[in-house]
Amino acid sequence: MSLLAVSNLTKRYRRGDKTIAAVDDVSFHIDPGETLALAGPSGSGKSTIARLVLRLIEPDAGRIDFEGDDFLALRSAALRARRASLQMVFQDPLAAFNPRATVARVLDDPLRIHGIASRTERPRRIAALLERVGLTADLAPRAIHEISGGQRQRVAIARAVATKPSLIVLDEAVSALDVSVRGQILDLLLDLQRQERIAYLFISHDLGVIRAIAHRVVLLDAGRIAESGDACAVIDAPQSAIGKALVAAAPRLNRTTQDAS
Amino acid sequence: MSPLRRFLRTPEAFAGAILLAALIAMALSASLLFPGDPQAIAGPAMLPPFQDWSLPLGTDRLGRNVLAELFHGARTSLAVGLTAAAAALVVGAVVGTLAGFAGGIVDEVLMRITDAFQTVPSFLLALAFVSVVGPSLGIVVIAIALGTWTGPARVARAEVLSIRERDYVAGARVIGMHPLAIAFREVLPNALPPVLAMSSVIVAAAILTEAALSFLGLGDPNRVTWGGMIAEGRTVLRTAPFLSIVPGIALVLTVLGVYLAGEGIVETTAVRRGLS
Repeated sequence: MSLLAVSNLTKRYRRGDKTIAAVDDVSFHIDPGETLALAGPSGSGKSTIARLVLRLIEPDAGRIDFEGDDFLALRSAALRARRASLQMVFQDPLAAFNPRATVARVLDDPLRIHGIASRTERPRRIAALLERVGLTADLAPRAIHEISGGQRQRVAIARAVATKPSLIVLDEAVSALDVSVRGQILDLLLDLQRQERIAYLFISHDLGVIRAIAHRVVLLDAGRIAESGDACAVIDAPQSAIGKALVAAAPRLNRTTQDAS
Repeated sequence: MSPLRRFLRTPEAFAGAILLAALIAMALSASLLFPGDPQAIAGPAMLPPFQDWSLPLGTDRLGRNVLAELFHGARTSLAVGLTAAAAALVVGAVVGTLAGFAGGIVDEVLMRITDAFQTVPSFLLALAFVSVVGPSLGIVVIAIALGTWTGPARVARAEVLSIRERDYVAGARVIGMHPLAIAFREVLPNALPPVLAMSSVIVAAAILTEAALSFLGLGDPNRVTWGGMIAEGRTVLRTAPFLSIVPGIALVLTVLGVYLAGEGIVETTAVRRGLS
């Protein structure tokens, strides 16, 4: 049974008298420990799907089954409790944290809310989480705006894994990072997935990154699924028009080195 | 540079701080320097200032020590001004945050109530409230807060409306934080700076409103107030103008001091926010 099954998901926005379907009859599933990438040009509905799956916005139609339960049927307290299993990492790690927060507080919140560790135990858990994502425990008292972008995204990942989720939605989680840091963060994500069997819904417009991390890919165009399948197969030989356009638009490192020589 | 030193570096803020410090010193030392009832008769009536050094600012129509009254009046002004402003800011920030964060019907109801309060002139509202309930210090505080909480509420709501769309609020929902905890722990503290920026104006207005109520005889009759002193002196304005002028100057300096110090604080925090 799949971990997350999304069927016929639809979200419309009304602009003036026109209704625009941001997400139109989209279905996909993710298995435990698997990485599914959502790719597509800007405005194709990638981030809307992320927000729908996380119940940050409500769909107009469709069904989301998570861990075997009807996720859309969950209300208030039950929904908040279930959120422990379904986490998110945002694109801009600076905007994703309260500007007044410290690293310790950011990591303390999930542990406190879901009753994972007692008050006295939490500082140790926070230190362990920081070390788990390749940071040192002495970062804990620092303010969020004092640490570097790469460190911040590591803290965001630590916060997401704090509640031992089965699925993490990564919305352009490495797009704002510079290339060297991006590789380290991708390695960290792969490492976490191997050890804790976390599934990822990986949203990106960067096909190179998707090829490196995803098992399967879903290509979106104007809110609909254009193409889906094995990540390497789709990216190496896209069938849909949007797939060909995305692959053609992706910069290729080896070609530029050939040109330079 | 420490925030305090940066604050004191601007001349306006420095002047404001001095005035405010003097006012606080007056309020705190009132019962030490002038023990007993400031409304007791201390000497001959209508003694002009600087005649008798035991009564430096002279006496009023009933022979009460004007300087003692001034010190005890500082106490009332400061207490009423600060508590009324604090109440207005707290109520306004909470109402504005709830309205902005909850949205929908809660927002509609809270903002229509705010509208209703805002359409009545705040001084009239205070006047009506005190006349109905009766003058005492607590009632005067409530009456002033009643007319001033709407401004902070509107500013807080506008700020919350923009903050609630930010990623970190979505992030707080994703980790399963309770909506009230999100509103008051994540959103409200970040919505506060522009609300607090209004505090100096609100404190100054509250002090003036209290003085105006006292001037009209609606202040707490058991306490000396500057407004009451001015009203008292008004009857003998031609023969003893100092009785109105002295508390009048005190009032002007107080409002000026509060305003300048408040502006200084806003300036300092703005610089700090800009640097971070």
